[in-house]
Amino acid sequence: MIRLDDVGYTYPDAPAPALQHVSLEVPPGSITGVVGASGAGKTTLAKVIAGFIPQVEGGELTGSATVDGRNLAELSLVEAVSKVGLVIQNPFNQISGARYTVRGEIAFGLENLGTPRAEMAAGVDEVAALLRITDLLDRSPYALSGGQMQLVAIASMLVLRTPVLVMDEPTSQLDPAGTRLVFSVLDTLEEAGVTVVIFEHKLELLQAHADRLLVLADRTIALAGTPTEVLADERLSGWGIGATRYTRAARLARERGLIGAEVPLPVSFDQAAAVFGTGAGGAR
Amino acid sequence: MSSTLYVERPSAVHRLNPVTKLVALLCVIVVVFAIPQWWASGAVLLLVIVPAAVISGCGGALARIGGQILLPLLVVLVLVQGLTFPGGQTVLWRWGPLALTTEGLMFAATIGARIVVLVLSSVLLVLTTHPGDLMSALTEAGMSPRFAYIISSTLQLIPSFRARADSILLAQQARGLAVPRNPVRRLGVLMPLLAPLVLGMFTDVEERSTAMEARGFGSTAKRTTLTPVRDSRAQKVARWVMPAVALLAVVLQVGWGLL
Repeated sequence: MIRLDDVGYTYPDAPAPALQHVSLEVPPGSITGVVGASGAGKTTLAKVIAGFIPQVEGGELTGSATVDGRNLAELSLVEAVSKVGLVIQNPFNQISGARYTVRGEIAFGLENLGTPRAEMAAGVDEVAALLRITDLLDRSPYALSGGQMQLVAIASMLVLRTPVLVMDEPTSQLDPAGTRLVFSVLDTLEEAGVTVVIFEHKLELLQAHADRLLVLADRTIALAGTPTEVLADERLSGWGIGATRYTRAARLARERGLIGAEVPLPVSFDQAAAVFGTGAGGAR
Repeated sequence: MSSTLYVERPSAVHRLNPVTKLVALLCVIVVVFAIPQWWASGAVLLLVIVPAAVISGCGGALARIGGQILLPLLVVLVLVQGLTFPGGQTVLWRWGPLALTTEGLMFAATIGARIVVLVLSSVLLVLTTHPGDLMSALTEAGMSPRFAYIISSTLQLIPSFRARADSILLAQQARGLAVPRNPVRRLGVLMPLLAPLVLGMFTDVEERSTAMEARGFGSTAKRTTLTPVRDSRAQKVARWVMPAVALLAVVLQVGWGLL
């Protein structure tokens, strides 16, 4: 369980806090999406949950951030990373450059922690099978596509057996195929009992995969709920987050009187098909 | 895109323990700088570097990369030292205050031969040693993993730097930047690109550092390796013999001037 209670954070020498009054709970084994406009504090929040703030960044952290009851601010970085894995935006920069096969790259974290060789090899094979990247193990990490590199970055975290994975815009530098590849493993992670917190802009994919969505606006959690509840909320546009194609189309249809105001706004293809296909709300 | 100049080959040079190669490189450099005669550098080049390059199968890459680095350096060296050497007596050609002298050319040859050895032996190490293997070997030899990573990652700087510079240049050309053929004017045009290049590299370093820390790089546990570092008794002996020979050369030259 990840729990943040009234967390605030100010970067060193910054005139204003990057986060304030952030409270949230993430149940174990769930997928939680966090959306927010650029500059809303997504990366800062990701680093708080991953234990990099304040250990690496410095600054002033108030409130408490705990994972499984352990206060992250009281853990060393090495202890924190054994509890929470972090996947960042740029897949290329996550490749250590210290290993010339994907197998070695995935094992790199285990090597740092002094894991015995046999245990390491078994761990790499296990996590590669889980993410269906066994065929990549003997290739160079630099010969992979962006999506494949992100899968290797995810595998490099999972092999450390971290129960929580924080993903900070993991598809922002990927093409559509790479994006689908990364999202395709989210359900696998959930089945494996990994708690995932994913910071993303791709609302439709979050709707399809996340159990719960949080909206980060004005440096705090402004809204929380199921993807359907959150993505249909009229305030999203005001927070610079936008809406799914289905919601936008339904709003347009509502403005033109094609569907009634009482019809819930669709946030997915199926919901949109139900609304438009039946002419719900008295299409004229 | 690869981030290293490493060329994978099934050669004996590639299979050597990276620490052995690093010790050999340092000893070669010490020897050629300790002995001021050009023939010492020539001997090292012919007896050590050329055979190693042939055995490694990286001769072509070594000639190409070494040539790109050395050609401008050697041209400048020969022009400056050959024409302006202060102790020059035997004038071969004169143009105004400039005189091309035998002594100047000999001095340029001595310095140039050292630079050739220094550059070619370093490039050969980079071509035949994967940074990861170097890091594992240095860590196993007792060096701090952080320091070992710094050394191994410097081998990756040039390709990363070049890739980022290419993309910045392309972006600027797309916005109308004309890059002249004249090298001097070209340098003037490219200078303003240094700021985004360096800033971009800082961002990369910060991100890479975060990714490394997330994988327990700061751990104080004794590191292990997935694949064992190759080594042999002969190499262990060689790692003591080579510095001893280099030290002997220094003592003979500096102490008694015998070489």
